[in-house]
Amino acid sequence: MRKQRTVTMVAAGAAAVMALSACGGGGGSNNNSNGGTTATGPNAAIGKVFNPSDKKGGTLRMANAGDWDSLDPGDTYYAYSWNFIRLYGRSLMMFKPAPGQEGAKLTPDLAEAKGEPSADLKTWTYKIRKGVKFEDGTVVTSKDVKYAVSRSLDKDTFPNGPTYFNEFLDLQGYTSPYKDSDPNGLGLKAIETPDDNTIVFKLSKPFADFDYFAGMPSTIPVPKAKDTGTKYKEKVISTGPYRFETNELGKSFTLVRNEHWDPATDPNRKALPDKITMALNVNADDIDNRLISGDLDVDVVGSGVQPAAQAKILADQALKANSDNPLAARLWYTNINGDVAPLNNIECRKAIQYAADKTGYQRAYGGATGGEIATSLLPPVIPGSEKIDLYPSKDNAGDVEKAKQALAACGQPNGFETNIAYRAERTKEKAVAESLQQSLGRVGIKLNIKSYPTADYAKLYAGKPDFAKSNNLGLMVFGWAADWPNGFGFLKEITDSRTIKPAGNTNFSIKDPKVDAAIDKAMTEKDEAARQKAWSDVDRAAMETAYALPGVIAKGLYYRPKNLTNVFITDGFSEYDYTALGVQN
Amino acid sequence: MTAPLEVSSGSSEAQPEAALQGMGKKAIQGRSLGQIAWMRLKRDKVAMVSGILIVVMIIAAVVALLLDRVFGVIDPNAFNQDLIDPDLQIPRGAMGGISLEHPFGVEPINGRDILTRIFAGSWISLLIGFAATLLSVLIGTVMGVIAGYFRGWVDTFISRLMDVFLAFPLLLFAIALVGVVPDNAFGFGRDGSRIFMLIFIIGFFSWPYIGRIIRAQTLSLREREFIDASRSLGARAPHVLFKELLPNLVAPILVYSTLLIPTNILFEAALSFLGVGIQPPSATWGTMLSEASRWYQVDAWYMVFPGLAIFITVLAFNLFGDGLRDALDPRAR
Amino acid sequence: MFAYIIRRLIGAVILLFVVSMVTFAIFFLVPRIAGATVEDMASRYVGKTADEAAIHSMAERLGFTDPLYEQYGRFVAGIFAGADYDTGAEVVHCPAPCFGYSFITRNPVWPDLVDRMGVTISLALGAAVIWLAFGVGTGVVSALRRGTFFDRASMGIALAGVSLPIFFTGLLSLTIFSYGLGWTAPGGSYTDFAEDPLQWAGALILPWITLAFLNAAGYARLTRATMLETMNEDFIRTARAKGLNERTVVVKHGLRSVLTPILTIFGLDLGILLGGAVLTESTYSLPGLGKYAVDAIVSNDLPKVLGVTLVGATFIIIANLVVDLLYAVVDPRVRYS
Repeated sequence: MRKQRTVTMVAAGAAAVMALSACGGGGGSNNNSNGGTTATGPNAAIGKVFNPSDKKGGTLRMANAGDWDSLDPGDTYYAYSWNFIRLYGRSLMMFKPAPGQEGAKLTPDLAEAKGEPSADLKTWTYKIRKGVKFEDGTVVTSKDVKYAVSRSLDKDTFPNGPTYFNEFLDLQGYTSPYKDSDPNGLGLKAIETPDDNTIVFKLSKPFADFDYFAGMPSTIPVPKAKDTGTKYKEKVISTGPYRFETNELGKSFTLVRNEHWDPATDPNRKALPDKITMALNVNADDIDNRLISGDLDVDVVGSGVQPAAQAKILADQALKANSDNPLAARLWYTNINGDVAPLNNIECRKAIQYAADKTGYQRAYGGATGGEIATSLLPPVIPGSEKIDLYPSKDNAGDVEKAKQALAACGQPNGFETNIAYRAERTKEKAVAESLQQSLGRVGIKLNIKSYPTADYAKLYAGKPDFAKSNNLGLMVFGWAADWPNGFGFLKEITDSRTIKPAGNTNFSIKDPKVDAAIDKAMTEKDEAARQKAWSDVDRAAMETAYALPGVIAKGLYYRPKNLTNVFITDGFSEYDYTALGVQN
Repeated sequence: MTAPLEVSSGSSEAQPEAALQGMGKKAIQGRSLGQIAWMRLKRDKVAMVSGILIVVMIIAAVVALLLDRVFGVIDPNAFNQDLIDPDLQIPRGAMGGISLEHPFGVEPINGRDILTRIFAGSWISLLIGFAATLLSVLIGTVMGVIAGYFRGWVDTFISRLMDVFLAFPLLLFAIALVGVVPDNAFGFGRDGSRIFMLIFIIGFFSWPYIGRIIRAQTLSLREREFIDASRSLGARAPHVLFKELLPNLVAPILVYSTLLIPTNILFEAALSFLGVGIQPPSATWGTMLSEASRWYQVDAWYMVFPGLAIFITVLAFNLFGDGLRDALDPRAR
Repeated sequence: MFAYIIRRLIGAVILLFVVSMVTFAIFFLVPRIAGATVEDMASRYVGKTADEAAIHSMAERLGFTDPLYEQYGRFVAGIFAGADYDTGAEVVHCPAPCFGYSFITRNPVWPDLVDRMGVTISLALGAAVIWLAFGVGTGVVSALRRGTFFDRASMGIALAGVSLPIFFTGLLSLTIFSYGLGWTAPGGSYTDFAEDPLQWAGALILPWITLAFLNAAGYARLTRATMLETMNEDFIRTARAKGLNERTVVVKHGLRSVLTPILTIFGLDLGILLGGAVLTESTYSLPGLGKYAVDAIVSNDLPKVLGVTLVGATFIIIANLVVDLLYAVVDPRVRYS
């Protein structure tokens, strides 16, 4: 974090994570991150393995307060799902099952090695590991991977998944294998399979971080013969250590060992439990109670416990010793809309940056346990992120004097009036709006609060520039999580002004050619360390435009039942690593 | 006829209707029904206390409106973050942060004073309660009288119309409607358009309840001799309607209105509770309870005072309505 | 009698038809009046990569560009014959009775409704049993012991009961019995009766009692008032004069006349509840029709809102009908004209 990365810096990085997660104040043990610890204590599973174990057997019991978007590898976009899917599917690359920052590194999974880029970074070649089989014993070939990626392009059939392949592959008008003239559904020209063990991706623009794309679940092979389109999620064919035994959509499913998974082909997964059970749509408070009582092992959603359990855990040292409070690669922030006068003037935007009381922002998300005050966009768990604080104030409570000066420079010495939008069902965002209304009110900036339905926030309201402008939405409360922990995965979608569409945007406000130029530089930088620095420069450039008011870097409070072994938080997902977990009984 | 909420219809409507049968009889003796009723009402201590409480609440609501919106003396949205535990986001101290300065405690997260917010929210609750009642009574009376007086196809049409209205799951319909109507629909500022819309929806969809009662009353009244007499003397329909019929309908209308107000106050609270009422940061009792519902496990005190505010107000109107009915129709005693 | 039943049935069907038409019109017209274009409405049903043209073709596929009466006609036809929905990826068949297809969750609405109905029926019927027993019982006793402490106390409680919003009593009960004492299941738990009857009852006991308390209050007041009126009637005096014992008088003659108004109110209350006990279900996060409706409204899922509103209306109309018919059976004074 905020340091150049060297091999020996891993431990230091992990320690930094611990120091940042203020909860517990450094409890736990002094064990080196490469070893493990059995000493219990707050944050004992952050930066190191807690209760390391190789003992196989037992049933891992998991629950979900809601339900998956889809179990189909081509149609899922939740972080927990990408974490969990590694139990039943193997993508070309994967996040290394390791604690802390090490877990944010990519390692080959179905591929033998990292991708081989061409000189212009527009062609990427992977070799597929030999001996990997589907659960029915069929050998996995590069064509199965190509087919899987091709079908994931069809966003009518699979609306949930990411769209990176749609944007970066040289599609030449290809839309879907279901509408393909090729009977094998392999008509896509952007992916070539010269032999059964080689797959070549051809991009429409150069991109240095393609390995992250190769780590998305959409590269998990799907056998054409077993593909049932929208119904494939009911019977996914496994390539991982577990396969579906039962699957009752919306209620529960169980995973059992996949006999055709060969540990010799898989250096990454421990596959400790014999069986994994998952209960869906369980009451969230009930999940917490069962975790604490020991009737349940993991809350799969990985966003932490509910407020009631949080209060209980924080108040009880014994419970607190079994909890972890890691930082996530998620930012809660507010867009400042330059389309709305007088916010087209940078000084007026700066006035907001100075006037905002970030402690109120933090309170809205539950105080120090819920998040850490952010001063720039890139969360510190992302390698290469630097501390950038262009609009400092004492205790982050806002600098009224500086704000007034900025207002005067903007020609609005008495302040101005504008609207602030938030997502209606997000009560924390509502609290943010109310808090900003108070703190900006100190310098005469008067906010009127407006709420819009969450489901259509991006498509019809805040994410639709025409609407935001005509409705005078000067401020728009929002949140953003990284698809994967690197600069591209976090910043591209919320800072690149060239991808702004008439509606359905995720970048509501950051429109500046300087930021765009910085992005171009970062995307084509071949050296990893330099690339991380380049993304930090994008962060700085975005903050200089003052188009976004960073609020809070999210933290979750996780409860770690005693039954779990081999537990650690991976920075790859900011959750417990589900491929590593084992159980004591 | 059904109550719009899951609140039993038994109390608020069936009873007045059942009790009001024969109201006309009393009315035509009529020299001063009002005086007689007033005498009776004065003897009913519970009703008088409730009545006084209602008057006090109305005055308080008007004062709150003036202080908050016109003069800006009180600020229901003022933060007191120093009173909040920074780790748990709930008020410091026992009982939701109750203190001399904040007798009802403060809200979690930002420490807004609950008493001030209940006070400031009172005018919205009462305004919507009264105005929505006025609207539905107005429409209901007009429709009921027309249907009952003219009978024939007019009556059939209005009666079927009422059937249609009554067949809607009212609460569902209301939340759906409030959801699709845009915020700036009527061009009022700040909370104005929401208040207007809530009044409209609550009032407009509950008129058939009173409409049916008035129709039934009118049907029986128009057979009476004094109406016949008036008509045979050559009086036109408007004269008969307004000069002869309407005065005799005042009593049931009055009683029904008094009992409808608390139902409508509950209705507004319910809509706010479901998140489609007045928008933040403005406080209403329903939105405060809605907020409190997310905190009940860690700050149970938050819900107590907004809940009591609704309870006491509604109870006062119900008690007064009961008393008024008894006073106007001693047979029900 | 038979002709009367037929006439009422036809009336109910027509009413249902009109209600469905109005509901349909409101949900599809109001967003348009509010300024949403057909493309706006369609945009929430398309994938992330969709451009303007794709959105427009989706709007056409969904039939948003057709006149309203055609859309309504298709909807009604779907209820009887099923319908096909083109999601772009494939054509989904929505079997009859098809109450619409949600493009947001990508499933037909009807199976959802059936699924949720179990919860709502469990909640409503369970609560109804409790409130009928307590409400009518208390009302009768109060009336017979008029002016006693029992009468005053129970009527006082009843008045408090009708003045308390369920989202307040519900929260209080959750705070005390579920969270504080740990006696009952936390809010949001629900188990099917078929799965485990004990857990089913355990999860519903608090909502039952809370909902029943609210309604029992009203029933007690109504029963008491009717009973008092009845006991002053001439036929009661006659019955007493005949030398019947008081018990027979009360049960055979008094209670019987109370039945009529109670029946009326009960049918309608139950009808409304079955269409979704919105507030109770929201307070206790029970996955019934009412919660379903609120969630659908929140996510702007119009087909679901429409479906659940229609089912709610159907319940109310059926309840009305049943009450009217029972009325005719219970009270011979009702003429079938």
